[in-house]
Amino acid sequence: MASHADTHEHYHQPGLQHQFEDMKQQEESVSIGMWLFLVQEIMFFGGLFTVYLVFRSKFPIAFAAGSNHLDAFWGGLNTLVLIVSSLTMALTVYYAQRGNRNMQVIMIVLTMLFGATFLGVKAIEYTDKYNHGTIPVDGWNKKTKKGEKPEHASIVLPFETKVSAAEAKPGAEEHPYVNERGVFQITEHDLELVAQEKDTLTESERIGYYSGDVLDPAKFRDKIRIFFWIYFVMTGLHALHMIIGLGLMAWLLWKAWTNTFSADYYMPVEMSGLYWHFVDIVWIFLFPLLYLLGRHFLH
Amino acid sequence: MSDNHDEHQHMNIPKYLGIFGILVVGTIATYFAATIDMDWIFPGANTLVALIIAFTKMSFVMLFFMHVYWSSKLIWLSAIASFFWLAIMFAFTMQDYVTRGTGIFSV
Amino acid sequence: MQNADVIGADFPKEPKVNYLTNGTTLKSWLLTKDHKRIAIMYLISVSVFFFMGGLYASAIRLELLTPESDLMQSGTYNKAFTQHGILMIFFFLIPSIPAILGNFLLPIMIGAKDLALPRVNLLSLYLYWIGGALTLFSLMQGGVDTGWTFYTPYSTTFSNTFVMAVGLGIFINGFSSILTGLNFIVTVHTMRAPGMTWFRLPLFVWAQYATSLVMILGTPVIAITILLLAIERVARVGIFDPSIGGDPILFQHLFWFYSHPAVYIMILPGMGVISELISNFSRKKIFGYEFIAFSSIAIAVFGFLVWGHHMFVSGQSIYAGLVFSFLTMVVAVPSAIKMFNWTATLYKGSILWDTPMLYAIGFMGLFLIGGLTGLFLGSMGLVVHLTDTYFVVAHFHYVMVGGQVIAYLGGIHYWWPKMTGKMYSEFWGKISAMLVFIGFNLTFFPQFILGYQGMPRRYASYPEELQVLNIFSTAGASVLGVGLLMPVVYLMHSLFYGKDAGDNPWMLPGLEWRTSSPPPTENFETTPIVTWEAYEFGEESGLDLEEAKRREAITTVR
Repeated sequence: MASHADTHEHYHQPGLQHQFEDMKQQEESVSIGMWLFLVQEIMFFGGLFTVYLVFRSKFPIAFAAGSNHLDAFWGGLNTLVLIVSSLTMALTVYYAQRGNRNMQVIMIVLTMLFGATFLGVKAIEYTDKYNHGTIPVDGWNKKTKKGEKPEHASIVLPFETKVSAAEAKPGAEEHPYVNERGVFQITEHDLELVAQEKDTLTESERIGYYSGDVLDPAKFRDKIRIFFWIYFVMTGLHALHMIIGLGLMAWLLWKAWTNTFSADYYMPVEMSGLYWHFVDIVWIFLFPLLYLLGRHFLH
Repeated sequence: MSDNHDEHQHMNIPKYLGIFGILVVGTIATYFAATIDMDWIFPGANTLVALIIAFTKMSFVMLFFMHVYWSSKLIWLSAIASFFWLAIMFAFTMQDYVTRGTGIFSV
Repeated sequence: MQNADVIGADFPKEPKVNYLTNGTTLKSWLLTKDHKRIAIMYLISVSVFFFMGGLYASAIRLELLTPESDLMQSGTYNKAFTQHGILMIFFFLIPSIPAILGNFLLPIMIGAKDLALPRVNLLSLYLYWIGGALTLFSLMQGGVDTGWTFYTPYSTTFSNTFVMAVGLGIFINGFSSILTGLNFIVTVHTMRAPGMTWFRLPLFVWAQYATSLVMILGTPVIAITILLLAIERVARVGIFDPSIGGDPILFQHLFWFYSHPAVYIMILPGMGVISELISNFSRKKIFGYEFIAFSSIAIAVFGFLVWGHHMFVSGQSIYAGLVFSFLTMVVAVPSAIKMFNWTATLYKGSILWDTPMLYAIGFMGLFLIGGLTGLFLGSMGLVVHLTDTYFVVAHFHYVMVGGQVIAYLGGIHYWWPKMTGKMYSEFWGKISAMLVFIGFNLTFFPQFILGYQGMPRRYASYPEELQVLNIFSTAGASVLGVGLLMPVVYLMHSLFYGKDAGDNPWMLPGLEWRTSSPPPTENFETTPIVTWEAYEFGEESGLDLEEAKRREAITTVR
């Protein structure tokens, strides 16, 4: 391209683009640009958090009941996995600044490994939801006939209070898990929860769960369904960001492998790092807001 | 170009590991805090604790992993502004919902 | 003797390579990173969308010529006004001034070689094209009938149209405007020429900066809202549609969180252009520079606090309504500050009545009416009578067309010599500016009365008593249409037959007038060093404008 004729004439530095005077100006521009991109990402997820806030303030019991279907062990494990990947990402930048190619490559590979682990755990969790009929769309769940046993992908820890643990209580045998059409299902246990809290329900909850004076399981189920809809959209978009992040990492790996980065030119590593840390921060909020509602005291 | 690397001399591997340790402790703390019923203090105390821990963790990630601590004022500003605008969105949406029903705001 | 020197200096040198002649292949345009070429491609594509939106507008006005719904059935009419709104707002008003004039001029005005992130700039153009193509495709397939606001449940339960495809188009187009805004902010922060301090920036740049803030902070919210709506339509489960337990008011909150600030995306750049025009064509330093600059930022910030005034009768709580109504009054203050400062700038200025100035003066009158009727609609009590009537339609057309479109046309005329190097016909320019002004008032002023009399918007039929005013409106629309089509003709004509404009046809001190017309690819031959304040007409500007004028006079006489 003709407009680039100048670029090669005054070629000061590797990676310096023609519109900038020097590397400092370029680094400053790129980093401000990346931060503004993150601001827009924060507002993007902010819309989702607003949705969450509105519905949670309207239907807190339904949200707590829905949250109890999630496995806080996997959620917590994933939080740790992401934090480790953030550490390795930070170290990638650290080594890129020092031009240490081998450590860079190792750290990028580790980051990718932990990122993939996160997605793997997410897949286990989604499968679990599929098997238990908690995907909010009717017909998208596993279709289970009478007599079949649902699979349990989750681990029950001693201190963990779970719906699956509640299912194992005596009495669960009389209500075997049947979901012939793959609809969204809630358990008896959820209804017990709302019955316990009968006296402290807010006006909007009373309207939301009751038909007249009687608790309406279908109406209550639909409120839990909203929780799961929000759960899938939020974690799904987060997972999408993780996948994009893995793509970035693959590109970085190739760049680092070919020894592109040095103490003078490491902006791509630093910028990808910002993105990766941002995705981690989103999860830091998603974990308590989705997994840890009413963990203990609603049982 | 060496002058603009001074900012990064603040962090070294032990410090990174220290921040990492704080984040892990925060995660474990948030997990166990959720198993303790704090509703007797005031409704929503559990959520408040969880959010305080999350904000602390986020601050550490942003300040040290994302190097905001050593960054220009503009980057501080954009980080703060985004949370300020989130707060606008939350507050002005919720001011509608909390003043709708019965209670002191009933019409 | 002296004359000979001066004229000798004006002899045509060998033609310099400018951004238009630097590479002529299609590839050199489609893969360019030059902000000026991207702006020209935006200019062409935005004009196409403007024309199509205009076709829908004329269909609407034709239908409303008679009280019965005879030209279109109600369903078709719903689609016509929806598509008019979508094309005009998302594909014309929002990108118009930022993506065309801002893209072209912002780097030149601050003395930079290009925007800070040229590849991102090209990406934003492609996103605009992809979003636009998707939208056009679905409009041809059958279109949408939800209103441009996509309110649920119109867009969920009651719509079988192409909401998903159009929504996706707007989603993608949203990222185009986010990237443009991002680029502008970075550029203003890091690319200013030596000596170009913040308070020496032209006010156009300040306005673009404020607009970009809104784009970055607001647009992602509409993106996620439309995404949620799309997921809801696929899954038939969700959070917005009341028939499945959703909350339509929540949709409106999220929608207006962006879309109210978006009306400032649609007016702030226009205000920037007007600040340029008023000061430069009065040959007087702008009155209250800091006030105008900060009022742009104030509008951008306060614009985020008032969205609830679109929802006064939606079921929002009265207390929220009170807060929003009060803040709406507050946000009128910075706009008023601008109006006062422009008026004060005109006072005792030596005003030149060139075509761009005609547009600027038109803007001041029309925006005044548009802004003041906005206060009517911001008052919670009055709006119960006026909501969803033609009063609303007239109000926002006074702001959007009377404001942004007129400012856009003024800006295009003002910078046309810089963009193309050619001068258009001043005579036809003035005629068209006046036709637009007259046609516009004839179209939309009757609508204030119609709305006050209670004619609701978005209906294909109306009571017979209202026909006279509607005929006025339709007649005005045809005058407006002619006024808007004329620039296409004489501007195109000037490209081939217009006389060379020279580097500084208006004799102005701004940085963009100190490079050649059309500018070279890197904008300036050497990076300029700024030693003068903005809008400095005296000796301090470093240009001897008086001498230049004398020279101009001599060459014209000969």
